Amino acid sequence: MIQEIRLALRALAKSPAFASIAILTLALAIGATTAVFTIVNALLIRPLPFKNPQQLVLLWEEFSQQGLDRIPVSAPEYLDYQKETRSFDQIAAFDYTSFSLTVGDLPEEIPGSVVWPNLFRLLGVAPIRGRVFTPEEVGEGHDDVVVISQRLWQRRFNSDPAIIGNKLSMNGRTFTVVGVMPASFEFPLPIFGLQGGQFAQRADIWKPIAFTKGELSSRGSRSYGVIGRLRSGVSARQAQAEINTLTANWTQRFQDNYTSGTGFGAKVYPLHDQLVGPMRGGLLILLGAVGFVLLIACANLTTMLLARASWREREFAIRSALGAGPLRVLRQVLTESVLLAVIGGVAGVMLAIWGIDILRALGAQTVPRLREANLDTTVLFVTLAVSIGTGILFGIAPAIASAKPELTEALKEGGRGSTSGRRRNRLRNALVVAEIALALVLLVSAGLLMKSFSRLQNVNPGFDPHNVLTMEFSLPVTKYPRGKPVIDFYNETLRRVKNLPGVEAAALTTILPLSGTNSDSSFHIEGRDSRVTKVFPDEEIRVITPDYFRVLKMPILQGRGFTEADSPDAPGVVIINRALAKKYWPNEEALGKRINFDDSDPAKIKWITIVGIVGDIHHQGLDVEPKPEYYLPHAQLPYRQLVLAIRSKQDPRNLTSAIRNELHTLDPERPVANIRTLEQVASDSIAPRRLSVVLLGVFAGVALLLAAVGIYGVMSFLVVQRTHEIGVRMALGAQRADVLRLVIARAVKLIIAGTAIGLFLAIGSTRALATLLYRVSAFDAATFAFVTVILAMIALLASYIPALRATRADPMLALGHNA
Amino acid sequence: MIKLRHVERNYPLAKGKFFYVLRDINLDIAEGEFVSIMGPSGAGKSSLLHILGMHDHAWTGEYFFGEAAVHHLKAKERSALRNEQIGFVFQQYHLLDDLTVYENLEIPLSYRQVSKTERAALVADTLDRFSIVGKKDLYPRQLSGGQQQLVGVARAIISNPKVILADEPTGNLHSSQGEEIMELFRKLNHEGTTIVQVTHSDKNASYGNRVIQLRDGFVVS
Repeated sequence: MIQEIRLALRALAKSPAFASIAILTLALAIGATTAVFTIVNALLIRPLPFKNPQQLVLLWEEFSQQGLDRIPVSAPEYLDYQKETRSFDQIAAFDYTSFSLTVGDLPEEIPGSVVWPNLFRLLGVAPIRGRVFTPEEVGEGHDDVVVISQRLWQRRFNSDPAIIGNKLSMNGRTFTVVGVMPASFEFPLPIFGLQGGQFAQRADIWKPIAFTKGELSSRGSRSYGVIGRLRSGVSARQAQAEINTLTANWTQRFQDNYTSGTGFGAKVYPLHDQLVGPMRGGLLILLGAVGFVLLIACANLTTMLLARASWREREFAIRSALGAGPLRVLRQVLTESVLLAVIGGVAGVMLAIWGIDILRALGAQTVPRLREANLDTTVLFVTLAVSIGTGILFGIAPAIASAKPELTEALKEGGRGSTSGRRRNRLRNALVVAEIALALVLLVSAGLLMKSFSRLQNVNPGFDPHNVLTMEFSLPVTKYPRGKPVIDFYNETLRRVKNLPGVEAAALTTILPLSGTNSDSSFHIEGRDSRVTKVFPDEEIRVITPDYFRVLKMPILQGRGFTEADSPDAPGVVIINRALAKKYWPNEEALGKRINFDDSDPAKIKWITIVGIVGDIHHQGLDVEPKPEYYLPHAQLPYRQLVLAIRSKQDPRNLTSAIRNELHTLDPERPVANIRTLEQVASDSIAPRRLSVVLLGVFAGVALLLAAVGIYGVMSFLVVQRTHEIGVRMALGAQRADVLRLVIARAVKLIIAGTAIGLFLAIGSTRALATLLYRVSAFDAATFAFVTVILAMIALLASYIPALRATRADPMLALGHNA
Repeated sequence: MIKLRHVERNYPLAKGKFFYVLRDINLDIAEGEFVSIMGPSGAGKSSLLHILGMHDHAWTGEYFFGEAAVHHLKAKERSALRNEQIGFVFQQYHLLDDLTVYENLEIPLSYRQVSKTERAALVADTLDRFSIVGKKDLYPRQLSGGQQQLVGVARAIISNPKVILADEPTGNLHSSQGEEIMELFRKLNHEGTTIVQVTHSDKNASYGNRVIQLRDGFVVS
């Protein structure tokens, strides 16, 4: 074997151009496969970094009759789940939050989470320093401890070995650091496609939950996620059955909270499925795409090796004549191809390392677990297996051809025209046809995704995201305890920001559109008793300041926007969007109608009047149709945590430092976080799609390149092989155009066959893309036609070059060569 | 009909030197002649034939074909003249392997923009004239060497050229087949076709009426 490897290396070194092209082709194909498999491995195959992750489930509630699913849990419900379920070994509530950490003079908004104290034990992850929370460290008065991440410990505390026991000043309170979690620990994990979790930043601080009295008294105030570990031997289905019984029981026990007809219930979801399940389809499509690229590369290499086998026919004939058996020759040729593939694989791994870095940079913020993507032993083992398999696949036909040389023909000087030569030509032609067909499938898929993405980018979101800067801001309850201080602080913030040069308008909102977060709330409509109508209005709610619609340039269709007059003491007002008006008042005027949030005591009902109707906006995503929404004035429902949105006359990023300064003057301890332009927010919302488009586009480009190289190679070989024939034809009077036609006609036949088969395959396979497409049919005729024409033109161009070379053939030399 | 004046052909060597395969060739061939070019290997016979056949144009001197000054013609004009006036017969036959006898005969006509009906008539006539009608659907590999060369000659004359250039036309044939082909040439010559052949064989040369001897690129007689 060593001798065969040595001979193979020598043979490759003798043809550096051939070896380089082959290795480059393999590097591209194996590199792409490795990069995609690395992502698949990180997202779908590799277990979550928790103890026995298959036992971990998320528990979400739902109101199926209202079309609401995966909604959080309220504090009393969580405590009941804890008390009344037997299927779980442990359950823990959690919620996203942020902390205004002040170290020295520098305040910083740190993403974090409030968690039930058993969370870390439930997940089975130990701290690298200190301890996790004790069961007693929960609830108001017992929650002044925090666990921090290793990242924060290194970044803000310079890896201080004495961090444990340190006091941190956050949100106007003092907390003691009791532990440091390892760098690999991430919780809550960003949950794909779930509002509020999709684009969440990594938590760096964990604090025990302290349910407020308000939370503990309201079963309907739902804001906590719940994770559970199934008891050993209990399946998710069994747990679901128990939950079903439990929630059915609640609807009987708490009839005021769970109105019949809403379809209240709860569902158990395996954690892994929740994180990456929706990406499985897209990833498998990408894996299929690189599989196609690999097959095209194999076809290319087979044609190259077949050409090489023709040139080496004499060598193998001599070897056979000297006694080498077919198996020996077969082994020698296969050793060469496998060696090539392994070298190509090594180069591919290098490319993949670089590619994965780019992918992580592109999508780590928006694709769950992507930052975990790295080349581990599983990936390397699969790459090695793919390399060897590829080497055998593209080497087997040329090896068989070489192992059975036609001795009498091959050993004759100038022998030609053997049957095996024609057989190989048929194989070569078939391979080119296959390459064109596969490339067409990839190009059609990429074309459809690109068209879909372009349509998505051109969707009018219902607001103008240009020239708007956004930043998050929150006030601690200790310093701003009630409504008025909060309102005053934000009014002053807006006054100062609006006075800055370049600012056109400024407003505050609880939730930005397309930011991945959402909030909904139920309400009652005057004159419509839900218990009678069986309609339970529950729609998306935003709290805003008066200039919000000006900042976002949202049209007020009817009535008015909010004004300073809509103060805490003024009559309650609400603005609804067109979708909400159409849903609840389809045939009547919505303006002037009244709603309330609590009609349990008719004497205390606080009516809120609809004073305006605004246009619809795409809030949940550009690909999600606008939903009914309603807006309340911040002055009448003050929130501590808000997003500041500023419309600027110029590049809004230029305002960042001026706004920071103003806010710092106002309250030096209040940091701002997540400073982004609204354009960036909108762009981030389609980032996972962009990633798929970029990847599939790159693979289609590589496929097109390889197919072009393939047809070029085959036509070049054909021209060399037919030099004699072309020479004779020219001697007999063929003009350049005749020769050009002769060669191109052959290419055209292959291209027609390839595109016909490719179109047939594409029609069969693009159906799998349907779920990824937006307003583009999986059989979009324009894309099919455009891509086919492009591929055919490039393939024609690739065959035109050798054809042109053929016309320059010197008949004298061609004839003399064989004479 | 053919007039060469001071024709020379060389190939560049290293250090700016040249290797001459033909030197100062002056030659006249009249219409209706049957000329044999002879000489040892490397004398320049085939090179001369390629110049006469207008395959090679990297030469110096003057070449007149009838009234046409070939040395002044552009590539396209040269090729048109060749297609119209010259037919070729090769030692290796150079039939196209993947075409039938019929298709091989049709090829030169197709390059001369002859219509399909006319092509069919001409091919049928030629098959008949050479008595190879029964072989029209066979591929070259299914024919003997003599039959292949017969097809080669038929292909050369199908477009009714004024001159046939033959490079060792019987070189690959056994003697009786060779005689058949040479008789055919004699017949064509008697019918008015000018024939220029390259040959090593005195016997073949005896079918012609003039021999041109080449040695080291020079015409020696």
